[in-house]
Amino acid sequence: MNAARPAEQVLWWLAAIPATMVIIVGFGFPLVQSLVASFTRDGVLTLANYELVYRLYRQDVVYTVLVAAAGLVLTFGIGIPLSGYLRLHHSQTAEFLLKVPLFVPFVVVGHAMRIFLAPRGTLLIFLHALGLVSQDTTLAISEGWLGLSIALAWKHLALVVLLLMGAFRGVGEEYLEAARGFGAGTLRQIWAVMVPMAAPSIGLAVVLSLTSMLASFSIPLMMTKGSGPQMLMIDLYHRYGLHGDFGTASAIGVVSYLLAAGAAYYYLKGVVRQ
Amino acid sequence: MRRLIAVLVVLVVVAAAGPAGYGQSRVTLQVAIAADVNVVEVHRNFLGVAFSKNHPTVGFNVVGTGTGEAASRAIYTKLKAQADAGRRNWDIDVAVVSMRYAAQMVRENLLHRFTSDLQFAPYVVGPDTVRAFGVDIKGYVVPMFRNQIAIAYNPQFVSKPPRTFAELEAWVRANPRRFGYNGIRGGVSGIGFTMGWVFYKTGQYDLLLQGPYDKAHEGMIRSSIEQLREFNRNVTVTSGNAGTLDALNRGEIWMGAVWVDQLVAWKNEGRMNPDITPVLIAPGLPIYPLYLTVPREAANRDWAAKYIDLVANPHIQAKVIVEQFGWYPGIDPNRVMPLVSDKAKALLFRGVTAEDLARYSRQMPLAEYYDFILLAYEEIVR
Repeated sequence: MNAARPAEQVLWWLAAIPATMVIIVGFGFPLVQSLVASFTRDGVLTLANYELVYRLYRQDVVYTVLVAAAGLVLTFGIGIPLSGYLRLHHSQTAEFLLKVPLFVPFVVVGHAMRIFLAPRGTLLIFLHALGLVSQDTTLAISEGWLGLSIALAWKHLALVVLLLMGAFRGVGEEYLEAARGFGAGTLRQIWAVMVPMAAPSIGLAVVLSLTSMLASFSIPLMMTKGSGPQMLMIDLYHRYGLHGDFGTASAIGVVSYLLAAGAAYYYLKGVVRQ
Repeated sequence: MRRLIAVLVVLVVVAAAGPAGYGQSRVTLQVAIAADVNVVEVHRNFLGVAFSKNHPTVGFNVVGTGTGEAASRAIYTKLKAQADAGRRNWDIDVAVVSMRYAAQMVRENLLHRFTSDLQFAPYVVGPDTVRAFGVDIKGYVVPMFRNQIAIAYNPQFVSKPPRTFAELEAWVRANPRRFGYNGIRGGVSGIGFTMGWVFYKTGQYDLLLQGPYDKAHEGMIRSSIEQLREFNRNVTVTSGNAGTLDALNRGEIWMGAVWVDQLVAWKNEGRMNPDITPVLIAPGLPIYPLYLTVPREAANRDWAAKYIDLVANPHIQAKVIVEQFGWYPGIDPNRVMPLVSDKAKALLFRGVTAEDLARYSRQMPLAEYYDFILLAYEEIVR
């Protein structure tokens, strides 16, 4: 490859300036600002904001991680076999249906799931109609971690399937044929051939969904009630909106960056190793 | 429909009776409203229209900033930024904000003192026009309407509604999870209930209201919140005021802490079981007015004051605020209630009488105590 001429190189640099500025001004600057704010109270450097986060929200940090983890397990527990199956047995309709959640806004998912999973919601009415549960039964999953994880998984499944389908299609047919030749069934082909070969894409999908789940706001806001543990983004909003406490809100933000960065770190480490 | 026409006629008559406009140059009043869409609609479709009829050079740009305290905070943040930047002619002329942020804005010198010039200034009365959250706010605010937190109950399940917090406590023990409120995250009705609880358990209303703030009282507050945690074990915590009303409507709960105005509005719209009735219990629950204010450097301060004068007009208060929307009057009720139809009166005062309001309407505590109570709730109850 020829090295670009100096004039051309200058042009490339100039062309990159607007985009770089957007990142610096729109992302870098607020990031630094919130980092500084998280260590400041009334203009004085302090750890008080983090102390408050620890005192009030430490359970919520754990809760957020657990909900996101449960959401991930659900998403990939369903997404991997489903995508693998669709790789082997193509179905246009199934693929279309799987992509629908991509176009449904988060807040709508939250509202729909709230109604669907409510103590006497649509799901329960359906189960009553089938005669599977008695009239007095109520569901207690809508407002807890399980309901949240189900809603998050439903919303993220579409993106995950989209990514996995692409990756699985990249797995050469000859490998699958060879596996079939040794008597591998559908599950075996998915688990022993497709998943290892598509590992980097799966890793990326995991990181993308995990960070999105950690940052989810509207679904928890629509689904949860006013007591018990809560997702961190709700705490952040609450701290800022109700209390006007920008310092503590920023500290919650920093904790969230760290959680997300942790996931990204493991992914990048894996990529570099490969 | 007939009522709507009557309201419009009154608006036009009232507006026509007002003083004529000053200069002829065109003015657009920027009105920012930190409240639900219905409040935005009143300004956009009724009050603004009525004002422009008599002052054709004045147009309106009415913007809602959302609901809850975050909405008032959005207005505060904008004004604060303009003040910090040393800008003249701020871009909000009338700000309709919650009690809490009005108090904060007065404390931080962000508001213009305007009410003494109003024609209806003598009708701006009540303790909540003098102090809010421990801040002296006299002259800076006109309540657009007053909103009371009350305990709403379904008579189908509750034959003898409680009259005091102690009776409510006993009832909740006997009827687990049949009482609901929205904690402190779902809006001010839940916060108000919490404040009422602290007044009840500590018995220190005057101290919490007037201060001064003393750390020595934090233990007493924390212990009242610990008792609230026990109380909450038998309570349904809803996701907001609308959530409480919904649960009441569906019969999931039989009693709940709600805003009276939203209860009346939902009944008016046919969305609510008409039997659900509010009661005010001793020692009382907070009232939480929505204030009309003028920012300190508003570009059109004089027009803003004139507009607020229109909202403070007893006829407007009677026809729009009380009859049309089912809110308690923002100005002196003695001037407004004689102008209100018997039907509207009956709807507004069913369950909560004017005497109840006088006796059991409470103020929110001093800002420092208020913040401490919220903090204690987050830490102890969750």
